[in-house]
Amino acid sequence: MKYISTLTMLILCYVSFSQNKQILYGFSEIPQALLLNPGGKVNNEGYFGIPLLSHVHIQGGISGATLYDVFADNNIDFNTKLQNAINSMTSKDFYSVNQQLEIFSGGFAFGSSYEKNEYLSFGLYQEFDFVFYFPKDYAVLALEGNQNNIGRAFNANHLSTSAELISVLHLGYNKKVNKNFTYGIRGKIYSSLLNLNSIKNKGSFTTIPGENNFYDHIFNLSLELRTSGLVSSTDDSGFESKDLTKRILFGGNLGLGFDVGFAHQINKQWTLDASLLDVGFISHSKDVENYSVKGDYTFEGINPLFPETGNGQSADEYWSEIEEDFEELFTVDTTTAKFTTWRPVKFNASLNYAFGEKIEEECNCIKDESGYLNAVGLQLFAMSRPKQPQLALTAYYYRRLFKGLSAKATYTLDSYSFNNIGLGLSAQFGGVNFYVMADNFLQYKNIYNAQSVSLQLGFNYIFNKNED
Amino acid sequence: MVKEVIVRICVIVCTTVLLCSCVEDIDFDQTKEFEITPVLESSLIFFDESANRFLDIGNEIITIQDFVIVDLFDDKFVVDNLIKAEFKFESVNTINRAFELQVDLYDATQLQHTFTVFQEASSNNNENSTTYIENFEYNTLAALKRTKVLVFTLRILSGPPINQDTLGRIQLKSLVAFYFKIGDSL
Repeated sequence: MKYISTLTMLILCYVSFSQNKQILYGFSEIPQALLLNPGGKVNNEGYFGIPLLSHVHIQGGISGATLYDVFADNNIDFNTKLQNAINSMTSKDFYSVNQQLEIFSGGFAFGSSYEKNEYLSFGLYQEFDFVFYFPKDYAVLALEGNQNNIGRAFNANHLSTSAELISVLHLGYNKKVNKNFTYGIRGKIYSSLLNLNSIKNKGSFTTIPGENNFYDHIFNLSLELRTSGLVSSTDDSGFESKDLTKRILFGGNLGLGFDVGFAHQINKQWTLDASLLDVGFISHSKDVENYSVKGDYTFEGINPLFPETGNGQSADEYWSEIEEDFEELFTVDTTTAKFTTWRPVKFNASLNYAFGEKIEEECNCIKDESGYLNAVGLQLFAMSRPKQPQLALTAYYYRRLFKGLSAKATYTLDSYSFNNIGLGLSAQFGGVNFYVMADNFLQYKNIYNAQSVSLQLGFNYIFNKNED
Repeated sequence: MVKEVIVRICVIVCTTVLLCSCVEDIDFDQTKEFEITPVLESSLIFFDESANRFLDIGNEIITIQDFVIVDLFDDKFVVDNLIKAEFKFESVNTINRAFELQVDLYDATQLQHTFTVFQEASSNNNENSTTYIENFEYNTLAALKRTKVLVFTLRILSGPPINQDTLGRIQLKSLVAFYFKIGDSL
């Protein structure tokens, strides 16, 4: 119990939406579940995804004030609402968008003819990921200025954002070692089409009462924005769509990564599984442009009538020197130094309990191990992000409704909502598999007040083991 | 067959999502009302000099003058959004001579505005201080926005002569407060 409350507290402290696909995770009827755990159980002989339609995923989220908080048509002054929203948010609140589109995918089982216990899966997908932390101190400085904030350090690190557009070619191997243990690994080649990140900002701007003058303005700044793939796509370099195709197919900045995972059947009804995804990096060397502002400077005003040097320096020369100091501080240095970004690592784990064996009416017999109709379980998701890891804890109920139709309902705990209910369906008509899943259902009551919405759907053609 | 099933499912999903989601009244036109009013303060000029600083080979220096070039008001953003400015001076005198600081605001050639900060003498070398505020609004704000050169003239006013043994100091601190109203001009 103590552990549960500690864990809950931990989750409350963190913000948790992101690339969590809690409904898809462990949903073994859907081939794309293998992308969330390469060592998960495989139920099919082979499959191919309907090109461009096999996995469409979109997720967006706001962890602080919602659109409705700011734009509600409720006769409250817009600026009051905006101010309240800014005051209620912290620098740990963020906006995030994650989108994935599978371009193609497929898989097939192989091994000895009597028991095909190995499985290869592959594919190419495109992913866009964006996170922007609310720059609280910048917003307060813009809103109020420094007059009422004497002594307050405006932190430069409140500016933190990253955006990335990549394509991922992957090949996964899954092996069922015995009936109790399956493992898998997936190798990935990343091709980054576009990367923008500003996540290592440091320093502050502070106004404090001064000695020689009213105030000392202390600038201590180290800001950096790194980009790759941006310059050629914005300037007049004649960037065309064929260049985009080339970049998707390894013409971008390349990287390598892997996923690993396993599933362990503890006994007939209990299973434990876990996976670690996107352990990898991208090396950005092409089309790189980085911008940085660095400097330490304290400004206390000017002393034009009695320039300190006393060697005939005029006030103008004296101020020119100060101006140079300022320029040095605020001059943006542009470099093309290559850099490496780490992919956000994701961790999934789940403990599952299956129950309710399907009894065949005709023979009154119990089907094999896959014959359980229900499952419940707990899933944990964690992901690395620029400021702090994001966590989510999900409880789920899974049910096979009819032959070829199964559903999963999830309840996810996170810091901004205690009512994230998700639903997923997987249906199979002949060989065609269709799945759709969405979460935060309760927030659809007023979509503008939603803090997070996500939707995944896709079509596959599956070759089943037993076409019963 | 497969295509038909896909199309049918898409229609069902889209309809369900549309029917299940709804919106409450929201008005994005409110951005037109957007308005923020930051106040930025910055230290301006200062000095802190002892009485004998006003001697040059035994002669009193009565007037000290210098100028600074201001390019702040070349910035359209500043000109468009600055609604008020305030210059605040705080002077302290422990010399038995009054002084005044005259501030002249020039555009390229013409005087646009002038004001003078006066500080009384201190007959007993005790601290004698004055706070002076010059507000810039309407016409004077327009004059400030045209300013390209600030001329500062410090005058030591008449009184007992200053020599090497004259006690006391004169000090001056100043700041400028810029009041902005940033709204739909953005």
